[in-house]
Amino acid sequence: MKQQYHFPENLYSDIRIQESYSTNLGMYNGELTRDNATSNVGALVRVYDGKLWYTSSVNDLEKIQDELDALAKLATPNENIYEDPAIKLLEVNVDERLQYTGEKFLGNIARSRFLTVLNHYVDACIDPEYPDMTSWSISVGGDYEKKSFYSSKGCAVAWDYQLCSLNVYMSFGNNGEPMGGGKNFFGMMPEDLYGHEQEFLSERDRLVDYIANAVDVEPGEYTCILSPITTAMFAHESFGHKSEADFMLNDKTLRDEWVMGKKVGSELVSICDSGDMPNHGYIPYDDEGTRARETWLIKEGVLTGRLHDSNSASVLGEELTGNSRAQDYRMRPLVRMTNTFMKGGTDSFDDIIADTKDGIYVYMVSNGTGNSTFVLNPVICYRIRDGKICEPLRVRMVTGSVFQTLFDIDRVGSDFELFDTYYCGKLGQGARVSAGGPTIRVKKLQVS
Amino acid sequence: MAAIKEKHGTHCEVNTMSYEENKPKAFERLNLDESSYRVYEDGKVGIFHCIGTVSDEEGYAKAQADPERARPYPFSPEAGSTRFRDLSETEFSAGELMALAEEYMKYLTDNYPQFTFSGKFTTTRQTDTFTNDLGADYSNSDASVGVGIMFKHKDSKNIMDGDFEFNMRTPDDGTKFREMADLYLGKWDTVAEIPEDVILDMQYYGFAGSLVSELDAEEMSLGNSRLSGKLGEKVFADSFTLEHDATDKESWYTRFWDGEGCVIPGDKLLLIENGVIKTGYSDKRVADKYGVPHTKTAGRNFGDLTYPGGMNVRIRRSDKTIRELLDGRLAVIPIDYTRSQLDQKGDMTIVINSSLLWDGDKVIGRLPEFKVKTNFYDIFGKDFRGVGSDDPATYHDKQMLLHVERV
Repeated sequence: MKQQYHFPENLYSDIRIQESYSTNLGMYNGELTRDNATSNVGALVRVYDGKLWYTSSVNDLEKIQDELDALAKLATPNENIYEDPAIKLLEVNVDERLQYTGEKFLGNIARSRFLTVLNHYVDACIDPEYPDMTSWSISVGGDYEKKSFYSSKGCAVAWDYQLCSLNVYMSFGNNGEPMGGGKNFFGMMPEDLYGHEQEFLSERDRLVDYIANAVDVEPGEYTCILSPITTAMFAHESFGHKSEADFMLNDKTLRDEWVMGKKVGSELVSICDSGDMPNHGYIPYDDEGTRARETWLIKEGVLTGRLHDSNSASVLGEELTGNSRAQDYRMRPLVRMTNTFMKGGTDSFDDIIADTKDGIYVYMVSNGTGNSTFVLNPVICYRIRDGKICEPLRVRMVTGSVFQTLFDIDRVGSDFELFDTYYCGKLGQGARVSAGGPTIRVKKLQVS
Repeated sequence: MAAIKEKHGTHCEVNTMSYEENKPKAFERLNLDESSYRVYEDGKVGIFHCIGTVSDEEGYAKAQADPERARPYPFSPEAGSTRFRDLSETEFSAGELMALAEEYMKYLTDNYPQFTFSGKFTTTRQTDTFTNDLGADYSNSDASVGVGIMFKHKDSKNIMDGDFEFNMRTPDDGTKFREMADLYLGKWDTVAEIPEDVILDMQYYGFAGSLVSELDAEEMSLGNSRLSGKLGEKVFADSFTLEHDATDKESWYTRFWDGEGCVIPGDKLLLIENGVIKTGYSDKRVADKYGVPHTKTAGRNFGDLTYPGGMNVRIRRSDKTIRELLDGRLAVIPIDYTRSQLDQKGDMTIVINSSLLWDGDKVIGRLPEFKVKTNFYDIFGKDFRGVGSDDPATYHDKQMLLHVERV
């Protein structure tokens, strides 16, 4: 890693170059409606004088030095800038982790290989005469990203990430009450996407049964069993965002509420974030050049960590965690999650269901949010009676207090899964993340 | 047939001054170009999506460089004329932006010390263009100054308690900002009672977006829409009219041409009139495939073929103000809330974590958390109370009154 830039004196500055490539083939009711490939290159240049960050986004990499010089003129030189607590914390890593070069690079994978996957799933999963089906779609594609980061402290790192994906989806008109559903599958190369045919067909059959038989839930308070993907959503949306420390820098109320060592949940609850896992939230170095690491946010119900950039870590007197991330080169970084999951337990799914006399099984959710009251928006739910999964339920919303719910988790399954489907939004920026968890049981949640 | 060349472009310049926890954090600038080069020949179109800049010669060459990816396009590219529109009203320098941000943040911290604020103050200038070999030469320029404030009460355990934002083409003397800040924050510590009969006062973009997705002519034709088979039927309230309006000066960065270069005569398309479904919206592919009217409403897609969409929809305003529409009743201004998705039957639940109660003129106080429910057909049907003729300080924008049921 050699850097070629002249960094201005008496200022901290860094340069983040992002190269990306994406390709997508999509079929809708047998017609190829999407067939594209796009490259994108740009850089974010930042200068800091101890008081204000000055940033500029450019598409033309030849202009980086000019932008750096122009921003330096806006800033006020500061001889002590490297004594600034946030700048002092920044790591000086030098490393190159490029895994997707040559034949592996998405841009070098022939379009025909994606088309073959697409056509295979059309043949294997789509029956145009399937009763009541009004449309179907299959899309296959991939995204590649390479980041290079250089700082005036001497940090110079580069890394890349790539993921191919497949989505199979069906819609049912259902006499003016339309509903659809599908599945996403992931892999490093197009051929990794084979082998999920039966999973999709099972999901289709579940959806059809749900459409035909779902009944309205009686709103109220229920014991809820959350499927792994629902637990993942809860861990990310409902708790994870509260662990992002940029929300609480000088806020006494939040700092008192989330003090390290405080018991915040059942001893069955452990939640972790790690950018160094080969999943959708992979970032071996963050957008300040900090190495990713495993951060346990809750261990056995006790608050043990939170996520930081250099500013939040310096203000709160804690260590860097490698969670400073920007959506792309047009944005400055924020504190963001990466791969966030609730640790699995020892209970089997069957035992958890059998041990539940009266409750609701939240099988699939579409999205969720998390303030003090968190919200999960379910897609498919089932009633549980006398330890058995019964009729499908139409549930619009599951809500609860984050603070109480963490204590109300009383069964944790061994069926841990990590899901690469997510993009997380925060302050207008999206970030690819993964989220995971096992089946869990919560003593009571509000269901409507 | 000779090849026909066509170029879609966007140039965008954005300056942003950000504050975090009451303090200046960053000054950011962004200057980006994006283009789509398209070459039509023999019923196909080659497309090159360029982020950044290249010469036109190189852009068109790249559009033709990969015949395997040439897309079927059995339609005539759109002939056109010359038309330029500039909706911007004023230049606003980076220095002026920083001064405005400082003034507004000072007002907040001086007058509302019990809160912590984050702020984003942005100037955006954008020019969209469309040219082709058939004589079309269009451009639209626009510029705005945007203000967005997030606030958190210092005693609150929430990450944030609420936010407010608005856009202006020409900044005023600060009155709009002060009015809005006072409205959201002035009565925060006064707890009011949730009314038995709940009327929400909201911007309508989210609800209108859900409705618009049901008017996609392809989805309507396939039976995937809640409005399939309902063309010509009265589905919503008499007072409800929805149209795509490319002349709308209350929106920003609207183009008067669609993703295929088509221009609607008069720049408007009536979708729903007095509750009656008039038409779905389409692009050339959907109109041809399903035998529906071509409404010249293709969404712009720089990297691929178009899709139906990309409109600027607005609900026709009532001739009454918000206060007149309320007619003595109180309304709830949701501040922090989450909507469920519409379920199979079109039902929706909304959790309102925090909100204000007001009479259309003054805020009474803040409300505790509560839930309401509504339904797709009722939102613009029996529960639709109208869009006010005025833009009160709640949003400094169009706003809709909606009756909902508590759960």
